[in-house]
Order: sequence, then structure tokens, then C-alpha cells
Amino acid sequence: MNDNTERNLALSHMSVAFIAFLLACIMGVYQVLERSGLFSSLDSPSVYFASVSTHGVLMAYVLTTFFIMGFGYYTASTTLKMPVWNPKLAWGGFWLALFGVVLAAIPLLTGLASVLYTFYPPVQAHYLFYLGATLLIVGSWVWCGIMLMMFYQWKKENPDELVPLAMFATAANALLWLWTSAGVAFESLFLIIPWSLGWVDTIDPGLARTLFSWTLHPIVYFWLIPAYTAFYVFVPKQAGSFLFSEEAARAAFLVLVVFSLPIGFHHLYMDPEQAKGWKMLHGIGTFVVTIPTFLTGFTVIASLEIAGRLRGGKGLLGWIGSLQWTNTMVLSVILSLLMLIFGGFGGLVNASYAMNAMVHNTAWVPGHFHLIFAGTTVIMYFAIAYYLWPILTKKPLISNNMALVQLWTWFIGICILTTPWHVLGLLGQPRRISSVVYNNLLTLSWQPYELAMIFGGLIMMGSGGLFVYVLYKTQFNPSAEVFEGSVEYAEPLHKPTDLPEYLNDFKLWNKVIAVLMAVSFGIPILQFFFMDTYDSSAWGY
Amino acid sequence: MAQLSDEEREEILNSKPIGTWFLLISVTASMVLGWLFLYYGVFIPRGVIN
Repeated sequence: MNDNTERNLALSHMSVAFIAFLLACIMGVYQVLERSGLFSSLDSPSVYFASVSTHGVLMAYVLTTFFIMGFGYYTASTTLKMPVWNPKLAWGGFWLALFGVVLAAIPLLTGLASVLYTFYPPVQAHYLFYLGATLLIVGSWVWCGIMLMMFYQWKKENPDELVPLAMFATAANALLWLWTSAGVAFESLFLIIPWSLGWVDTIDPGLARTLFSWTLHPIVYFWLIPAYTAFYVFVPKQAGSFLFSEEAARAAFLVLVVFSLPIGFHHLYMDPEQAKGWKMLHGIGTFVVTIPTFLTGFTVIASLEIAGRLRGGKGLLGWIGSLQWTNTMVLSVILSLLMLIFGGFGGLVNASYAMNAMVHNTAWVPGHFHLIFAGTTVIMYFAIAYYLWPILTKKPLISNNMALVQLWTWFIGICILTTPWHVLGLLGQPRRISSVVYNNLLTLSWQPYELAMIFGGLIMMGSGGLFVYVLYKTQFNPSAEVFEGSVEYAEPLHKPTDLPEYLNDFKLWNKVIAVLMAVSFGIPILQFFFMDTYDSSAWGY
Repeated sequence: MAQLSDEEREEILNSKPIGTWFLLISVTASMVLGWLFLYYGVFIPRGVIN
């Protein structure tokens, strides 16, 4: 099959993602330097908040969305062995999303959208920011439509076969994103955009925050599912093994999709607009998503254990040393799982209704989400890029050793950055501040941790730069050597032959999600239309 | 890659992942202990919110 279109689609999306990533890395280092207060020449709250907002948008929305779309197009076409459905539409989605990013960048870079990536009202940005973000989401919906179309086309043509696992996961993520983004889409279209355009004077922050919480947690799983996909479909093969259980993988994706949605109120534990019963319900749901996480950990580690033993590893843990640590995918999954353990633990603390009060709005929270996002998730984006780039560009990777150094330094950097960040949270340092210099004993005690964070941030920036350098040098390598490899998906240890339809389709789960969302968000949203609530006027640029 | 006979290979492919169970149980136990430490050792001693 001629896959030029699919390769170009994947390369274009991922290139945008990684350019955004590099810019955001540079901003991250500036922020950790500025906030420390150790460099007075950098002191500027306005530049700081413009930078934090841009950093957050680039990392959380641009890197992720473009990477996921590019990865999805290539996964769909290679695993289903069919061309991308309606490539013109796919390119239309790409350009629309990119136009949205450019539109949002104008107010972000000119200090007119310093509202952080959560853009909680009544802090207000220039309307171009909201319009741009909305176009990015609409562009990503095009991708969702194409993925689901390909999923169901393939199923129609192959009624008695199981949808390949990689496509099952990709389509699950598309479905998840459609549900996830609906919350912020309602918030933007009906509350924020009319308000930012001056059509209405006030806004209800409680309703806006409730709608954003609809999006705020499952979006993490939208980012994470490509990493889990690589865990299941690339890692076992790269490690020289088999996927321990395909049934477990499918169940994990389904539980993630279903239960990551009705749980967003753990972001609102300290908010007054929702009653404690609803928060408790969402809190319990939050603990349910630990199940697919543990299931994934078990299945992936069991696949690695088989690989290690096939390579001669003996004893209870001797197989770990026998793994192929020089394979970028294998190394990445080990480091990713390590960070998932610590990041997951932090998440359990956040989700604990009472204990959340201890870490709420402290430095612990950005420490946690950097560990989970930049650690667990983005390191797998690196691994996927190292694996796919030679296939997409038809050029061999310029240096496997450089890639290994990059992965190790990223891991070391994130550990050095986020450990003191968590400690600072426990010591009471607030988040979302541009300066920590108050000249008292408490803030002086923060300084060693701030210094460690600067060191970690610098290592990460160097590592991020090395990552982009390796990809760039690979793609534009003048050598005539052609890379002939193609994507290889892992085989299950025992091929499932007779799986129930609910492990091969989403129709039932779509209905389950609708019921769960109605139960968990119905009254909490409708109450705003039945109660007297008092709006806020805008505060901002 | 180690040189394995077909029997050895089959034995590995059909064996129980005991190392994985050990790791997962250790991680889960550590998380529970860590959570209990933070709750009883850090959170509760801070007292009520004033």
C-alpha cells in the first residue's frame, strides 16, 4: 500500500507537536528561574504569567492533540491496512487546528491571555484566545470522526474478526475525546465566548468550573491512552515477547474510557458550588480508575517478564536485568512505569477527599501533574517518535545512543524537578505564584528546593532539545541510506478467539457513559438553572 | 538472546508471572503504607483548618 499520505499526515501533525514542545520547554526553564527569585533581572509577574499560560497551552493542548492525531492516523492505516478515510478532510482538520493555535498564540504572546491553561473565569482573556482554542478542539473532532469512521468501516468489512488492538485503543480514545471535550465546548460556546466578546457583562464561575471539571480529568486519559497503546502494542514486540493478555488490554481501555469521565469533581473538592455528596461520588469514581492502571501495569510487566526470561533471566526478579535496556521503547516503558508509580501515588493523595485539603492549590499539584504528564506520558511520546520517525521519514535514526541519553536525562531531570516540587507543596508553598521571595523564615527554607528545581528544569530543557535534534537530524540526514522497516505490532500470548462483542465495540459503552454522565453531572449542572446564583464581572487584561 | 530449547521456551511462555505479582504486590503495599503515613503522619497532626 502506498502510504505517502498517511506518512505525511503523521509527520506534519507530530512536527507541530514537537515544535510546540520545544518552545514550551524553554518557557518552563524561564519560569522556574523567575519564580525562584534568585535572578532579580528576570522578575516580572506579567511576563511570568504570559509564559506559564503559553507553556501550559503548548504542552497540554498543542503537543498532545497534534501528537495524538498524527499517531492515530498512522496507527489506523497500518493496523487496519487501509488508507485514511477522506484525507482531504484530515488535512482540513489539521489546518483548522493549526489556525486555531496561531489565533490563540497572538493574545498569549502579547500578554492578553494570561489566564493559565485552565482559563477559569472570572479571569478573562482576549476573545481570540478562546476562539483559537475552540478551533483547535473542532479540528481534533475531525480526527475523532475519521477514526470512528475507519473503525466501523473495517468492522463492516470484517464482521467476524476482532478489531486490531491498536485500532481499538485509538477509537476508544477518539470516543473518549468527543465526550471529554464536550464539557469545555459547552463552557466556551455558551459562557466564555459570548462574555469575552462583550455580548454579556457577567459570567457564573461556578457553572463554568463545573463544565470545565467535566473535561479536566478525562483529558488526562486522552493524553495517556497513546502511551498505554504503545505499552500494549509496541513494547512486547520490541522487548522480544508477547502481549500477556489482549483481553486485559481491551478491558483496561474500556474501564478507562467509561470511568475517567464522571469523576471530575475531585478538582472541585474545595469549591463551594457543588455539594459534598456529589464530590464524594466523583471521589469514589476516581479510585475506580486505579483498576485499569493496575491492570495495565500487570499486563505490561508480565509481558516484559516473559521477554526477560526468554533472554535468559532467572529467579524472581533476575529477568529485569536481562531486558533489552538499549531499546528505546523498552527503556521508556520501564522509566514511564517507574514515574507512574510515584505519580499515581500523588494522584491518590489528591483524590482523597479529606487529605486533598493539605495539598490543594499548593506546589504539590503542579509537581504531581508534571510527573504524570511530562514523565509517564511524554516519555512514551518520545519512544513512539523514535520508533516511528525512521518509518515515516524512511531514514534510519541518526543515533540510538543519543536517544538513550535523551531518555535517561529526561527521567533524571523530571525526578530532580518534581521531587522538591512535591516537598514544597507539603511545606505550604502555593501554586500559581510568580514569586516566592517574601523574606521570612518559611520562604527562605524553600530556597534549596527551588535551586534543585532549576537544576532539574535545565536538564529537562537540554534533554528536550536533544530529542528534537535527533528527530531533525534523522529527517534531514543527507545520507542516501534508506530505512525499509515497517510498524510491527505485538502478538498476544494467547490469541483471543471468542471475545464477546462488548470487548470489540463501543455502542454499549457509549450508552453506559451517557447514563453515568447524566447521573454524575445532571443535577450538578441543572441546579444552576433552578437556583439563584450571582454572576461575576470580568477580571483580566 | 539466550539459546533456549523448544521445551524451555514453552515452559517460559506458559509459566505464571511470579516476578510481576511480586512487583505489583510490593508497589501496592508501598502505596498503602505511603498513604497511611501521609494521612496519619502528616495530615492529621496538622490539626483542623482554622
